[in-house]
Amino acid sequence: MKTRLLTGLLSLLMPAMVMAGEYDLTVDRVKIDTGDFVKEGIGYNGVSPGPVMRFKEGENVRINVTNNLDEMTSIHWHGLILPFDQDGVPGISFPGIKPGETFTYEFPIQQAGTYWFHSHSGFQEPDGAYGSIVIEPEGREPFRYDREYVVQLTDKHPHSGDRIMRNLKMMTDYYNRDQQTVGEFFSDVSENGFMNTVRDRMAWGGMRMMKADVEDVHGFTGLINGKGPDQNWTGLFEPGERIRLRFINSSAMTYFDIRIPGLDMTVVQADGNNVQPVSVDEFRIGVAETYDVIVRPKDEQAYTIFAESMGRSGYARATLAPEKGMEGSVPPMREPARLTMADMSGMPGMDHGSMSGMDHGNMDMSSSGDMSGMDHSNMGSMDHSNMEGMDHSNMKDMDHSGMSGMSGMSGMDHGSMAMGTEEKSDPFYAKGSGLMPKAANGGKFLSYADLKAQDPLYEVREPTREIELRLTGNMERYTWSINGVKYEDADPIRLKYGERVRFKFVNETMMTHPMHLHGMWSIVDVGAGQWNPIKHTVSVQPGTTVYMETEVDAPGQWAFHCHLSYHAAAGMFRKVIVEGGPESTQAKTDVIAKDGGEV
Amino acid sequence: MTVSKFLVAAATILLSATTFAAGTHGGGHDHGAASGEPGKASEASRTITVEMYDNYYEPESIIVSPGETVRFVVENKGNLVHEFNIGTPEMHEGHQEEMMMMVEHGVIQGGKLNHDMMSMDMGNGKTMKHDDPNSVLLEPGQSKEVVWKFTEKGDIEFACNVPGHYQAGMYGDVNFE
Amino acid sequence: MSCIRSIVAVSFLASIGVSTAVTAQEMISDTTARKQPLTTWGVQFEEFEYRYSDDDEELGVWNADAFYGTDEFKVRLLTTGEYEIEEQAYETLENQLVGQIPISKFFDAKAGVRFDTPEGPDRTYAVLGVAGLAPQWFEIDANLYVSKDGDTSAELDAEYELLLTNYWILAATLDATVAFSEDREIGVGKGLVSTETGLRLSYDLIDRAFSPYVGVVHERKYGDSADFAEADGGSTADWFAVIGARIAL
Repeated sequence: MKTRLLTGLLSLLMPAMVMAGEYDLTVDRVKIDTGDFVKEGIGYNGVSPGPVMRFKEGENVRINVTNNLDEMTSIHWHGLILPFDQDGVPGISFPGIKPGETFTYEFPIQQAGTYWFHSHSGFQEPDGAYGSIVIEPEGREPFRYDREYVVQLTDKHPHSGDRIMRNLKMMTDYYNRDQQTVGEFFSDVSENGFMNTVRDRMAWGGMRMMKADVEDVHGFTGLINGKGPDQNWTGLFEPGERIRLRFINSSAMTYFDIRIPGLDMTVVQADGNNVQPVSVDEFRIGVAETYDVIVRPKDEQAYTIFAESMGRSGYARATLAPEKGMEGSVPPMREPARLTMADMSGMPGMDHGSMSGMDHGNMDMSSSGDMSGMDHSNMGSMDHSNMEGMDHSNMKDMDHSGMSGMSGMSGMDHGSMAMGTEEKSDPFYAKGSGLMPKAANGGKFLSYADLKAQDPLYEVREPTREIELRLTGNMERYTWSINGVKYEDADPIRLKYGERVRFKFVNETMMTHPMHLHGMWSIVDVGAGQWNPIKHTVSVQPGTTVYMETEVDAPGQWAFHCHLSYHAAAGMFRKVIVEGGPESTQAKTDVIAKDGGEV
Repeated sequence: MTVSKFLVAAATILLSATTFAAGTHGGGHDHGAASGEPGKASEASRTITVEMYDNYYEPESIIVSPGETVRFVVENKGNLVHEFNIGTPEMHEGHQEEMMMMVEHGVIQGGKLNHDMMSMDMGNGKTMKHDDPNSVLLEPGQSKEVVWKFTEKGDIEFACNVPGHYQAGMYGDVNFE
Repeated sequence: MSCIRSIVAVSFLASIGVSTAVTAQEMISDTTARKQPLTTWGVQFEEFEYRYSDDDEELGVWNADAFYGTDEFKVRLLTTGEYEIEEQAYETLENQLVGQIPISKFFDAKAGVRFDTPEGPDRTYAVLGVAGLAPQWFEIDANLYVSKDGDTSAELDAEYELLLTNYWILAATLDATVAFSEDREIGVGKGLVSTETGLRLSYDLIDRAFSPYVGVVHERKYGDSADFAEADGGSTADWFAVIGARIAL
């Protein structure tokens, strides 16, 4: 009996030893050159961004991290499922890595896909402390490609993270250079009339909210793999090849709208997890999200990867080309985004009386269309007889956008109607939102609603309970919080091992918040039931409510926060404690009792 | 089959017919021009089993000789609906837009086919059925046969045109001896 | 059952090479800076300028504040001075040290002391005020002062910025002082004492850190205060051309 157990243990041990990989990272002061400016920053192994860490599913990794800074540091493996004390959040996972110290992370790789790593100390991440992780699966990928590139974006700012935080605290609009001006007033007057424009300005002024408040921090240079637009990172290809692009948004604050004019992008992974492939013309990548796409350039020409920030205050640019030095044209940025009253709709206690005069003219009414003029009554008598011979390929040109106004459609399953290329209204944005994404070429823009798990990780089951998290803040004071409470004043969120919690995010602010739960997957409710995708970062747009479910399968304590660096630092952050779990991994509970609890 | 479903489908078809009126009449359902022709089971020289997974085939290439008739046994071993369709890349591209319509109208729903929708009578006994001889559309666990005669050499692939699948790499090469 | 599970767990742990120390890993308490209130600071010169009056008076003027603290409590130093260049004397020199706490979404309350040490008699006041952002983007700073001798006065500052572009800004300011009792020694009469209105056109040259401007300022005294000024040989209404810079550190 005893020997059998031993051999069993050994057999388990042997492959593990073969598979163990050892890696070294140093955390260093580095120079960052964006082409627009050069600054001091923080990097790994002497550069920012740090290296691509290539792991294999099933491998056990040992990563020795040496801190060459004169301050504490840490590395968080963003999106990786691992023991909580390896998660790299100072004060939650471990105390942090002291100057001069080497800390060894050790954990098993239990997943595949594209992820990233970054410092979780102070503002080291916006200062440059980030890199990418690529994990090769044990089996084959459910898609094919001939070559692959990591495409890691960031919003590199000439100011240090500390300085940006301080400036935002001093003047929340310190960096905003797309505010409404006298000139915009007059152009709005000529478009919407004088009284409408005055009413619009009064409504917003009454709330003391800015339509232009889309991005807190302007003035950055968008980088791709550490290269500014003029430095033009270039990936080579042979025409006809399939290229897998692993997009990672490592920005401190910036969402990017990404397109490659001339190429369809087939999204095959979101946040490292395989999704049912969906072809798009453009997609928006939230801060900390990753999307893997497959493109197939057939022509012997250069293609521009163009990533405009959501608020259009800056862009990143790179190139795919058959030869070094070839360049595609760089399109101009589109008009700066403007919030609408729809984006304010999540705010409690708003004076809706003053909204009666609001400018509906600015709202995107595309989803209500103007099909009202259509006569549906005669449809019964239409001739379908030559349907078989008709060319379905042209069907995409028809206008579905107005169909919601059709009578008698109630029996249809709208849930399954993705509406493909015609749908202009993304259900993950407030109806009429000024942030509603639109593809530059009028084509398909990826929505969360398009993301369906390729091979669901979890069985569907009823959640055991719901936890409401209102995303709250005060733009004028630059305070950010959850349920009106900043992290400094908050009790931890307590979950029980084995439960399935349904989180309800209600965004009561006018900013977009990419919410990141460490250690456990976020199953985003996109209305696809068992096919709901799993992610590590969930974007919640202003004025919307988003649900996600979490199988509480990781004991310990974890961070849960908005991934916008300055929102997290201002208080939109929580500690999550998972109580119970398998005995061997169960953590001591005396600290738990001391900390109190909120849920 | 509800009246409303019928109305939607009817409207769709009417509208597309209208927009189509100015277009050209190429591609579309005009299968078989360059990829071969439906074969007779009795003339099949051999049987090739093609397994469909999410989202790839096994095998990912086959070798045939010009004029050969092959009996394909296609099995869907994945969790999603997949297609096995023999054609040129251009034919596949054309067919993908039809398949997109099928998804948009709920005919293909992840791992299920809405057979009601497919066999819905559109007026003159015509339906949205996916019943061309060069292809089969299978739910998980289903298995069907395709008998095909590769009349001449050409740039031929077998492919799944469920939206996104072909782009993600769900195709196989037909190589000629 | 539980036996099997623990064996599996042990072998799993062994296989991944993680020492059993992990199992005893305590969940630490967060004592990092993140869990502490965010402390921040700032220094701003709303006005830092040279003034030239319509009767050839030259002044060096500043109006600045520095703060340090958290969302819940800030210490703020406010300083205003008008230096007569020819006479080498401070026409006004006010320094306030106040504590500031939030009282509503857009307003803070302030309390502290104010020391006036210009050329001439000094004064010390207790200060109570509110400051914040009023609807339609008016920045308001309203204060009530009580001197050591019991003289009370109130001051209202309002500012509105018009964005000609995102870099050219036209700022209108109004500063009005009302006294509820007379303080003859420093030329303050009961009622509306004085107003200062200004219009400044600035350009953000370096971020918002350095914004040079030109403008006009009109100062006026009213009622008894005007009479006192005349009696003392001063003027009751002045126009100034100003040139200076807004500075934020």
